[in-house]
Amino acid sequence: MLNIKNLEAKVDNKHILNGLNLDIKPGEVHAIMGPNGSGKSTLANVLSGKNGYETKGEIKYNGENLSELSTEERAQKGIFLAFQYPLEIPGVNTNVFLRTSLNSVRKARGEKELDTLNFLKIVKEKSSELGIDEKFLSRQLNVGFSGGEKKKNEILQMKILQPKLSILDETDSGLDIDALRIVADGVNSYKNKENAFLIITHYQRLLDYIKPDFIHVLSKGKIVKTGNADLGVELEKTGYANFI
Amino acid sequence: MKNFYDFKVDNIIGLSSKEKEFRNKELDLFDKNGFPNKREEAWKFTDLNTILSKNFTNITNDYISLKEKKFELIKEFDHNYLFVLDGKLVSNEFKFEDKNKVSIKEYDYEKQTFVRNQNSLNLLNNALASGGYSLEISKNYKFRKPLVVYNHFSESIKEQIISYKNSLILNENSEIKILNYTDTNSKNNFFVNSFDCFKLKKDSSLKNIFINKNRCNCYFHNYQKSDLEHNTTLDNYILSTGLKFNKMDIEINLNEEHAKSSVFSALSLSSDEHQEIKSSLNHNSKNCQSYQKIKNVLNDQSRGVYQGKIFVKQEAQKTDAYQLSKALLLNDNAEFDAKPELEIYADDVKCSHGSTSGSIDLDSIHYLKSRGIPEKKAYQMLINGFLSEILEKLPEDNLKKFLIEKLGR
Amino acid sequence: MKTEDLKNSKEYKYGFTTDIENIRAPKGLNEETIKFISNIKKEPKWMLDWRLKAYNRLKVLKEPDWQKPKYPKINYQDLYYYSAPKSSSEKPKSLDDIDPKILETYKKLGIPLDEQKRLNGIAVDAVFDSVSVATTFKDELTKKGIIFCSISEAIQKHPDLVKKYLGSVIPLSDHYFATLNSAVFTDGSFVYIPPNTRCPMELSTYFRINASETGQFERTLIIADKGSYVSYLEGCTAPMRDENQLHAANVELIALDDAEIKYSTVQNWYPGDENGRGGIYNFVTKRGACRGKNSKISWTQVETGSAITWKYPSCILQGDNSVGEFYSIAITNNHQKADTGTKMIHLGKNTKSKIISKGISAGKADNMYRGLVQIKNKASNSRNYTQCDSLLMGNKCGAHTIPYIKNNNSTSTIEHEATTTKINEEQLYYCNQRGLDQEEAVSLIVNGFCKEVLQQLPMEFAVEAQKLVAISLEGSVG
Repeated sequence: MLNIKNLEAKVDNKHILNGLNLDIKPGEVHAIMGPNGSGKSTLANVLSGKNGYETKGEIKYNGENLSELSTEERAQKGIFLAFQYPLEIPGVNTNVFLRTSLNSVRKARGEKELDTLNFLKIVKEKSSELGIDEKFLSRQLNVGFSGGEKKKNEILQMKILQPKLSILDETDSGLDIDALRIVADGVNSYKNKENAFLIITHYQRLLDYIKPDFIHVLSKGKIVKTGNADLGVELEKTGYANFI
Repeated sequence: MKNFYDFKVDNIIGLSSKEKEFRNKELDLFDKNGFPNKREEAWKFTDLNTILSKNFTNITNDYISLKEKKFELIKEFDHNYLFVLDGKLVSNEFKFEDKNKVSIKEYDYEKQTFVRNQNSLNLLNNALASGGYSLEISKNYKFRKPLVVYNHFSESIKEQIISYKNSLILNENSEIKILNYTDTNSKNNFFVNSFDCFKLKKDSSLKNIFINKNRCNCYFHNYQKSDLEHNTTLDNYILSTGLKFNKMDIEINLNEEHAKSSVFSALSLSSDEHQEIKSSLNHNSKNCQSYQKIKNVLNDQSRGVYQGKIFVKQEAQKTDAYQLSKALLLNDNAEFDAKPELEIYADDVKCSHGSTSGSIDLDSIHYLKSRGIPEKKAYQMLINGFLSEILEKLPEDNLKKFLIEKLGR
Repeated sequence: MKTEDLKNSKEYKYGFTTDIENIRAPKGLNEETIKFISNIKKEPKWMLDWRLKAYNRLKVLKEPDWQKPKYPKINYQDLYYYSAPKSSSEKPKSLDDIDPKILETYKKLGIPLDEQKRLNGIAVDAVFDSVSVATTFKDELTKKGIIFCSISEAIQKHPDLVKKYLGSVIPLSDHYFATLNSAVFTDGSFVYIPPNTRCPMELSTYFRINASETGQFERTLIIADKGSYVSYLEGCTAPMRDENQLHAANVELIALDDAEIKYSTVQNWYPGDENGRGGIYNFVTKRGACRGKNSKISWTQVETGSAITWKYPSCILQGDNSVGEFYSIAITNNHQKADTGTKMIHLGKNTKSKIISKGISAGKADNMYRGLVQIKNKASNSRNYTQCDSLLMGNKCGAHTIPYIKNNNSTSTIEHEATTTKINEEQLYYCNQRGLDQEEAVSLIVNGFCKEVLQQLPMEFAVEAQKLVAISLEGSVG
């Protein structure tokens, strides 16, 4: 599904990624761990097509060259990024945003746009799964949301948009135990043979709930070690020092 | 320099000799400096003289208004109306109201209100005004439906100035919502210089909305002078866009305790539109409140100007005054200028202002795009979101719906 | 600060006069006066020509009248334009040559000129009335190639630098008072920091008006060459006199590529008595040009003195990535009036500016922030942040804020915030409850209000400034 070859990325002339390789197949859950500044968020931003990065190397998504696609085209083709810091957008109603977003994605897939009634049905169902109060959806997008609410809102968007590749950028940071469990359940319930996940995290904590197939250690813009779920436990004990 | 205008008091018919004398004096005062330029503090950011001299060859005041003509009523919501053609009151209808409680007349220039201040266009209005209306609402009468003032301008006006004064008196405990609806699709250039005088008696309330139906090529200047008594409320909503030039100069005097006033504006400007709001919120008595929120979206070569002043007199303790202007610049040829001013002589007050101007937040755009929303749509969503805060404050559901749709054009 | 200290300092403590013989130019503003000044300073012809050009320009200029504090018309023909202590008609070669009375004066002001006694390493240029009387630490600075001397000396010894930069930031015919200064300036400081040099100590000028009926017109020129850094301090005092005295200085700063200039002022000119009699008219033009890329100019001012303060230390941000800052405290009490602020003109790309202004008004005083932030359409990705806070103490004073904001670039952001409040009763109560008396409490709270600005000052000045803040507000809270 995703094949990254020798990816380099620069921002303001600073090298962040230095020849990163990664292959993700449908149904797999990959976790990327690494210390601060190792390039984890940069990888997420480059995959979602954020401006301001100078890149070299190859990123193929279902055989298509990703760098030729705009952010919204990538989203429409099923790449979803749960932001580390979801933005507050005053004046934009959360429901209106969700509907616009879902209909853009549906349109791109050649599906019919949803009317208000059908849309609300979907939202109602998905938000109750995540324990999100409906009132919350009539508020302005992320404005005045707590850290946990913002992260839950990201997972809600994922479940509504039904992406193929979901990238979770430190979705666990700032969550208490209960919220963490809800987020993890949200992810687990969406996991199936066709979808893949790329989970970026600092800690083993989230991986106790979402079992990864592979764990990669990122250091100085490169993957320096790959292992199975046990690697995370080992990292938790020994720290990153042994790998970098 | 050769003048690009030629104004004569004699062009106005039916003036008493006393009136003529007064008007000629005002015109002389105006002629001394001509149209305002940046030397006038009220026009700090705008050289109107240059703007007009580039767009007019000879402005005169010899326009003779046409006979009554047909106009289109707004169908979306029930309302009363005044039909004002080229500044003159032509017809009115108050079918939703108790007619004994409303008095509507032509403006009486023998008892006119006039101001002479920093803004010299007021002198010109004093000299040339004719037409206009006087509306008075009886004590304890609350309008059931809004009043729409259809300000229609004929297509035959060209290179002319139209000047008039309106007066509105709200007696004790009365209430009205007015939509000032400018309607012209003239391709011609002309100048409208109007003056509104509002008197709000104890416990009365006025909501005053400005919007225009079409884009047009004309130049508008309006001076509003409002005097507020005890426990009154005056809210202005400025939503007019699509005008070549528009300046609203608003003077609100909070003269007695618990008077409240606000100025809201949501403007989205494009091409070479120029919109200017100047406000003076004068807190002359204690325990009054004022609130101003101005939002501009500026595209192409458009220009937005906001000069807002909060003045607090020594005796106006416990004043609560707030002012915020925000602008989104979408093009390097667009410009936003602001002068948020505080002049405060009382110490037990809460006064603040803020002003920001800048680009649209690109991280927010990225966020929307990452959810599959196309770039153009993402911009539109953010712009609408930016303006929606003001539109949400509009009164009356049907009226609000109408206005929001109108602005979405 | 202790209550006793406050009580002792109720009076303006710098109000004494020094009884000293002066050499003066004849009264009046005319070509003869200008020639007299130029002659006594043994100036080259180009300098005199420059002054006369300014004088000719002055004849057609009008005094500005848009400012808020109005003042009685100044009779420019009734002023002395040059006054110098007789003993220093020849610039003293060493401290031994300085009139002991002047040394004594500076000692009383807390500015000992004696280098041995000076441990904290601040080089001082002392300006007494119209002339620079002493510059300390000269040798040490010379070793690094730093030039720190009076402007008169610079005109003689470094004419190329002076010719190149004098009037390059404040043009000859900029406005009435700046032009007046260009015609009749008497002395001031000159600083040149060579490339890639960090000035090892704070440079400082101490201005003292002593003579009566005398206008003071200093001229300061600071050039920071590529990659250099300098921090410069300025202090001012004057004796108590019934008359109003005019102080119209010009300060020009030039920062080339990667250079930084930090300019701090503690202005404590005589403010006049509590009935508004006497005091200095402080009409000063200060402007800095961030000419090079990545350059930075930072103004910090604590304005507590003067009957009228009228100044706008400004930055012209020409170089890409250049930075301008303005930190200001203006305190007015009794009948004092201040109309001050800054201009930040963004011309280069990625330029940044920051304005923090704290105005405090007490008694019957008027305090005004007036400023301009302008981002021109080529200055992409530029930013300004402005915060203006006013504090009113009592109900007979005024606080005004007039910012002019012009944004002409779609990638640039201007943010402005302003508040006006009175001193917080709850905070006062809290302090009282902890045993502080009213004046101590006010001093504490006001210093807190000013903290962001005070912390910009170099250590030695910060302590001084904090005391000054407290003293300036004495008797303003009941």
